[in-house]
Amino acid sequence: MALIDIKNLTYQYPITDRPALRDLSLKVEENEFLAVIGRNGAGKSTLCYTLAGFVPHFFRGDLQGTVRVGEKESAESTLNEWVLQVGLVFQNPFNQISGSKFTVYEEIAFGLENIGIPREEMHQRVEDIMSRTGITDLGDRSPYALSGGQQQRVALASILVMEPRVLVLDEPTSQLDPIGTRQVFQVIKSMSGRGMTVVLAEHKLEWIAEFADRVIALQDGKIILEGSPGEVLTSPRLDDIGIAPSRYTRAARAAKEEGLWPAGQPLPVRLEEARQGFQRIIDGH
Amino acid sequence: MDIKIQDLHHTYPSGVHALQGITCEIPAGDLVAVVGQNGSGKTTLVKHLNGLLKPDRGEVFIGTWSTEKQSVARLATRVGYVFQNPDEQLFTKSVQQEISFGPRNLGYPEEKVQELVEQALCITDLTDARETNPYDLSPTWRKMVALASIIAMDTPIVIFDEPTTGQDAASIDRIGEVVELLRGQGKTLLTISHDIDFCADHFQRVIAMAEGKILLDGPAGQVLGEVEQLANTYVDPPQITRLGLELGLEHTVLSEGELLKEIRKMI
Amino acid sequence: MTQQLTFYIDRDSQLHRLNPLTKIVLVFSFIIIAFTGPWYLLPAVLIVLAIIPLSFLGRIQKEYAAATRKLLLPVVGFLFVMQSLFHPDTGEILLKLWFLDISVGSLRYAFLTASRIFVMVSAFILLLLTTHPSVLMSDLTRRGLSGSFAYVITSTLQILPQMRAKASTIIDAQRSRGLDTEGGYRQRVRALLPLAGPLVFGSLVEVEERAIAIEARAFTSTQPKTYLTEIPDTPLDRTIRWSLVVLTILTVGSNLWL
Repeated sequence: MALIDIKNLTYQYPITDRPALRDLSLKVEENEFLAVIGRNGAGKSTLCYTLAGFVPHFFRGDLQGTVRVGEKESAESTLNEWVLQVGLVFQNPFNQISGSKFTVYEEIAFGLENIGIPREEMHQRVEDIMSRTGITDLGDRSPYALSGGQQQRVALASILVMEPRVLVLDEPTSQLDPIGTRQVFQVIKSMSGRGMTVVLAEHKLEWIAEFADRVIALQDGKIILEGSPGEVLTSPRLDDIGIAPSRYTRAARAAKEEGLWPAGQPLPVRLEEARQGFQRIIDGH
Repeated sequence: MDIKIQDLHHTYPSGVHALQGITCEIPAGDLVAVVGQNGSGKTTLVKHLNGLLKPDRGEVFIGTWSTEKQSVARLATRVGYVFQNPDEQLFTKSVQQEISFGPRNLGYPEEKVQELVEQALCITDLTDARETNPYDLSPTWRKMVALASIIAMDTPIVIFDEPTTGQDAASIDRIGEVVELLRGQGKTLLTISHDIDFCADHFQRVIAMAEGKILLDGPAGQVLGEVEQLANTYVDPPQITRLGLELGLEHTVLSEGELLKEIRKMI
Repeated sequence: MTQQLTFYIDRDSQLHRLNPLTKIVLVFSFIIIAFTGPWYLLPAVLIVLAIIPLSFLGRIQKEYAAATRKLLLPVVGFLFVMQSLFHPDTGEILLKLWFLDISVGSLRYAFLTASRIFVMVSAFILLLLTTHPSVLMSDLTRRGLSGSFAYVITSTLQILPQMRAKASTIIDAQRSRGLDTEGGYRQRVRALLPLAGPLVFGSLVEVEERAIAIEARAFTSTQPKTYLTEIPDTPLDRTIRWSLVVLTILTVGSNLWL
């Protein structure tokens, strides 16, 4: 049985004139890494909020269809129960700092205090997650005295420490510089490697190609494309739905149009794949 | 309108010596991308151009004006600065009103203001949203409103602070079109950006900064191929450039067009 | 930039080691004793015999002295002068200034009022200098204070400096659009909306996201909470608290008796 099972989900935010998600059905297996792409406004964030329970419990609005994670159904659970199984990290690192705690260590423990974890276990879990997210030496600092990348890793640690079954990330690197981006993706990769089920909404296609097992593309609240990264991220339909393929893909397509691209060589999404393809062009002559 | 920076030094009250002797000239019409790691001095440098920061030592000239002797409001007639976070600028009831704010402050006659606002709305694809409250727009579109607000000021120099952060591909394309349009009008454009691909696409000159000094300054095709030096200030070359380097191409390539040209030469 | 607005000085002292509730009881008993004591010199005695020694006990005597010099003395001094001049006491007149006079009675009253205020503010200063707001709020929450209320206090302390930084950026951004922030009074009033507008609207956007972030950390969970750090409450603390309560009751009671 799939860990996440969404059936015929249609959702409309209050005071809006059309649904943000339309008749969307999606299954995600345990330990799967699913990437969600789409232009801004296509419904990526709404899907993330739905998986995390904030739609409908926080945003109200009109939800039809069912959302099941594990044994629980979204409509029949409270948000407090739901956040224990699905963790959410979003774009702006600054807004994910609670403001309630004065050090990074306490900030990470904040969630554990709220759910009544015994003190001994709290220390253990916090220290463990800090080590796994590479922020052990930030423990005494104020969360507000950190770079964007550091803050985002603190946000990740603060959610991961609660040991959710699913980690949902809504464009976690959009506001970060390249260093911060790399640091965050390293953490996500490591979590996925340890068995976490990950749903990641992203624009950076090369990173998706490196980690994702499956990719879905949204447009106007519907799933338009679904498949392996290689299939979806090089699909000619991407341009129609307002998503730009990676530059490597575009370069290879241009080469293909000139008849240069080796027959049978799949279109690349990432640097390494592109290098292989173009090297073959150079070597072949 | 030329920009001249002469031995510019700036130390923040906290004691950080953020600029340690910057000298460079940016002739009118140049498109310059300023890159480098956080803390290298990019923002500090650029804030001297419209007078938000004044030199501790050295001088900055915008045309014939020395920035030390001009107020920010006066320099705003020559230098437009698009801040990174639109929510730190937007405050009016409608997009149209927001965009009119800048040109009105500069004292343009009302007909000119209307004309500039229309143009800005058109360039940024916001004509249909002119009556919308900016905060009712998505963050992506709010950024376009902020951009339009500065374009409407019709300054000869425009500075973009991280224009593509958080934007999707369609929006980045739109911003790129705006840049090209402004270039066509002969404006001098500067950008601070971590998005090195965006820089390579539109800006023909790159200044790489590290620790308050200029590390590299030259045509993009030259600077962006200096992988080791750029690595010192945590800058990766553009994706296509990296591909070219991996393939051992003779010249640094910045676009797929250039890449294919080099490939064709090799076969 | 300071990351938070706190007066807390991190040092080890006997005052620092006291339980926060003990210090709160201290503050309130001092206030009640000072304000209900039957003797006009009682607050002054409290200052000399209790407040100042406590500042030494807390090893924050320098900071307390600085706060006194910069804040307390000017305010209290002003109060003293005003009360002396305007209090309508009829008694032996010591000094006549124009149509105002200073009498023994008004001097005494002024002294009493000023020293009462001095005790009250000093007690709070001692509390704030020796107690980290996070620890204070945490202790009170464990004793039943609303978690939401505590959150409002601590998050405000941390977010205000951030808002100050944001306000500074907004000023820069609007000045860069030609907004004149100097100039006459009317110009400054006109500049208010472009400066305050983004601050307010931008904050509203942030507040929603922060609410989501703390919900994601189960902030509104109804389960009994646990606490990362232990805040000791020793027999000494309890003794001090009860002693203070008794002293307070005696002081209040002495009014009825006298």
